[in-house]
Amino acid sequence: MPPRPSRRRVPPYGFLAAVKGNLGAIAVGLKYFLDPNRFTLHYPREYIRLKPGYRGFIVLNKAKCIMCESCARICPAAAMKMVRFQAPDPRRPGKMKLYKYPVINYQRCIFCGYCVDVCPTEALRHVPAHDVVYYNLEEMDLNLEQFQVEPKSPAEVEGGIPVRYVFDPERGLVKVPEKGQAGGG
Amino acid sequence: MSSPGELKLSGWEVGETRKLPGMDVKKIGKDLYEIFIGPQHPGSGHMRIIVRLDGDVMVEVDPDLGYVHRTMEKLAEGRSFIKVIPLVERMAILDACNITLPYVEAVEKLMDIEPPERAKYLRVLLCEINRIASHLYGMGIFGVFLGHSTMYMWPFGDREVFVELAERLTGARLTHSYPVPGGVRRDVPEGFTDDLRKAVRYMRKRLEEYRKIFLDNPVIRARLEGVGVIPRNLAIELGIVGPNLRASGVEYDVRMVEPYEAYGELDFEVPVFEEGDALARAWVRVEEIKQSLRILEQVADKLDKMPREGFMHDKFWAKAPKLYKDVYSREGRVKLMPLFANLKVPAGKAFARAEAGRGEIVYYVESEGKFTPYRVRVVSPSFRNAIVFKYIAPGHRLMDLPAIYGSIDYFPPEADR
Amino acid sequence: MAGVVDTIISWIFWPPLFQLVIAPGLVAALAIVIFILWFERKTAARVQMRVGPYNVSPRLGGALQLIADLIRYSFQEPIIPKTVDTAAFILAPLAMLVISVVPTAAIPVSPLPWTWPIPMEHSLLVALALTTLSPVFLVAAGWASNNKFSVIGSTREAFMVTAYELVFIISLLAVAAPVHSYNLVEIVEAQAGWRMFAILNPLAFLAAFIAILMSTSGFPFEIPESEHEVVAGPFTEYSGLLYGIDMGAAYIKRYVMSVLLTIAFLGGWKPLDPQPGAGLLAGYIAPLVVVLVKATIVMAVMSFFRAVYGRYRLDQAVDLAWRVILPMALAGYALGLIYGYLGVI
Repeated sequence: MPPRPSRRRVPPYGFLAAVKGNLGAIAVGLKYFLDPNRFTLHYPREYIRLKPGYRGFIVLNKAKCIMCESCARICPAAAMKMVRFQAPDPRRPGKMKLYKYPVINYQRCIFCGYCVDVCPTEALRHVPAHDVVYYNLEEMDLNLEQFQVEPKSPAEVEGGIPVRYVFDPERGLVKVPEKGQAGGG
Repeated sequence: MSSPGELKLSGWEVGETRKLPGMDVKKIGKDLYEIFIGPQHPGSGHMRIIVRLDGDVMVEVDPDLGYVHRTMEKLAEGRSFIKVIPLVERMAILDACNITLPYVEAVEKLMDIEPPERAKYLRVLLCEINRIASHLYGMGIFGVFLGHSTMYMWPFGDREVFVELAERLTGARLTHSYPVPGGVRRDVPEGFTDDLRKAVRYMRKRLEEYRKIFLDNPVIRARLEGVGVIPRNLAIELGIVGPNLRASGVEYDVRMVEPYEAYGELDFEVPVFEEGDALARAWVRVEEIKQSLRILEQVADKLDKMPREGFMHDKFWAKAPKLYKDVYSREGRVKLMPLFANLKVPAGKAFARAEAGRGEIVYYVESEGKFTPYRVRVVSPSFRNAIVFKYIAPGHRLMDLPAIYGSIDYFPPEADR
Repeated sequence: MAGVVDTIISWIFWPPLFQLVIAPGLVAALAIVIFILWFERKTAARVQMRVGPYNVSPRLGGALQLIADLIRYSFQEPIIPKTVDTAAFILAPLAMLVISVVPTAAIPVSPLPWTWPIPMEHSLLVALALTTLSPVFLVAAGWASNNKFSVIGSTREAFMVTAYELVFIISLLAVAAPVHSYNLVEIVEAQAGWRMFAILNPLAFLAAFIAILMSTSGFPFEIPESEHEVVAGPFTEYSGLLYGIDMGAAYIKRYVMSVLLTIAFLGGWKPLDPQPGAGLLAGYIAPLVVVLVKATIVMAVMSFFRAVYGRYRLDQAVDLAWRVILPMALAGYALGLIYGYLGVI
């Protein structure tokens, strides 16, 4: 059946409904006061173990890169740039070759994941970390070596507990420690 | 040391400026009191509302927009077609799929391609998740404007459920950049539809509690009933869109009048309320969330039945190398062909619209056959709703202004573009 | 040596000093207000799917957060804008704080005459009269700020005074009628066992409870400071310690009124019955603790309402007060007169 309109009116309200409304509101409040439904992440002590598909920080696998420049061309924020340098060509001894590899500037990156999706050889990939921090802006402009190192979440480095959230029809999201109960979700 | 007592009131003409310690004072009218609400004000958002008060009653209300204008339309002219998607997404990141979808549709019209069936359902899936998240956000702001802090926290907490769903589907919590010309970027991950059904069951239960603590709360009823009434004809005259229009008794929803994507095949209602007051606008949002949950269930059933392949148009997918198909079958992720970086769209003009969370959003895209669009025009729902302040707020008391503002669900970044 | 200690103790527990400055006066007020603020934030957080204050002292559930806030307010620069009326701007919050505490001098916490700071003959009237003073300074604070939002906020407070003052006074007078006395001690002594006035006269109790909410801008009547129209109402221009005092003063007023409510309606120290000749502990401290615990529970219930209600509009609140709460208080008073006529108590 195609979409169709349905005309309604706001339910009417009288004195009795007002009394009932007061009691109902207080009852719902009390219910949650006695049995709170909270799933706050205590961040540095806990951190979310991100799902494999998460669009987190990006790492280059230089061995796979074919220098096609697609990533730099598709980047909507101009965060990804190619570095060019001359180096000896392994195939033709004694000759120099122009190499170009992508580097990323996390000051600009918007984590849209276009570069990873457009890379024809899967040389770029997302790592499950989204909370990497830098001391200053200059550090966010990675060079080629830094771009190949997989960044780690500081909470993970500090020894936080990994948790994940599973869906629950009664409580919405439920936080479970990663090492505890398996399955679910 | 001087005190305000030095101000001489006798013979002060309207429009004349006199000096006070530290300020100039201009008389704006007899017995009028002008206050500037915003842009740095807890109840204004990124905008300013100039209010003139006679006693406690507002006599003139002037919404002053433009504080977060980012020249999006102009920026779009310098970017290739695919890069415009993350750009326009920034209008309303909590409604990202609905906001970008008509742009993608317009580009598809120019390229004369149609996304495959599964892609259409996936787009509807994310659009409805976004719509629920957007309505919950609006209701949360509405709640806190009325001083109801629980109604602020609850929708924001429950929105997390849908943001989490969107994250599992697209890999990003808010800026999904999900639809691309030709299809979508990812398929549903393993176990997603079960999670979706759980979330739908949870939200249905929660909506009942929202009703108890907020909509049926006598304080909230008293604050909203009969406040900020937009009569049907005024709503049509001002060109209001979205839930605000439907709360005034107009049966208009782009999903219904001009079904796009898979909406024509889905079974749902478009709730329309007669009253047109702030309470009806709150109710219409709750009812729309219910209908969106209904759509989500149908989409989940449909996606389970469909074969797990083909959500990219053949033009981009048929000649894809084997690696691309491996990645797709392994991770459900579509790799974009390198030609996306320089997508050449045939010359022409296209127009597309969609029903975003806050109302109808319209895109006009003109291409000259180059890599970048010649013109991208956006008419966003919040911009069309902003004018309402000027017409319905006067005559109410100052304390009604947050109630009206919250009930319109006005979102300045979306209006300013 | 023992004589010196006794002298010091008798100095500290000299009722006019002890009652006003320590308990139920300023020190107890601050302690309980700090607890109630913590409780309010934790309650709201529990209802609202949050954790609330936590990171300051995780083992105590964030109880020290309020102390941390207090330290922050104390060290923040108090900015005094050029355009304000400086003397009134600084004095109004301080006066509000002091005046809020003063009614405790007229509230007995024990039936023994040596614990009374003033003669308790007409203590109900004195306490009521003293509670009505502090709104003046709230209005003054807003007016001295010379800010549009402040002026609107203090005008709203002035409107609210018309709504709650009469209700509070009439509903408290409803307990004086059956006892045939304005003496708070006699009023408490009349409420033996379960015969407390909250149960005998629920109308007057509810009216007084709502009046307290109104007068201390508790939800659903948080109107003068309503953030989304008038920023912080009369306190918009305040910063630093003065802002902290502004915000604390309302809670201290609520505390003092809750103590008065406890005495008048909830039987005061009533499970206890100190006999003449009881010592300091049994005759003064123990009944005082009972009163404070009861008052804290009253305040905790008021705090819970933050999680349930939004705020009324100004005109609706005044309308509600005059059209519903005032008749309720009058009915409560009539009930009190009937009790008094029949000699029920």
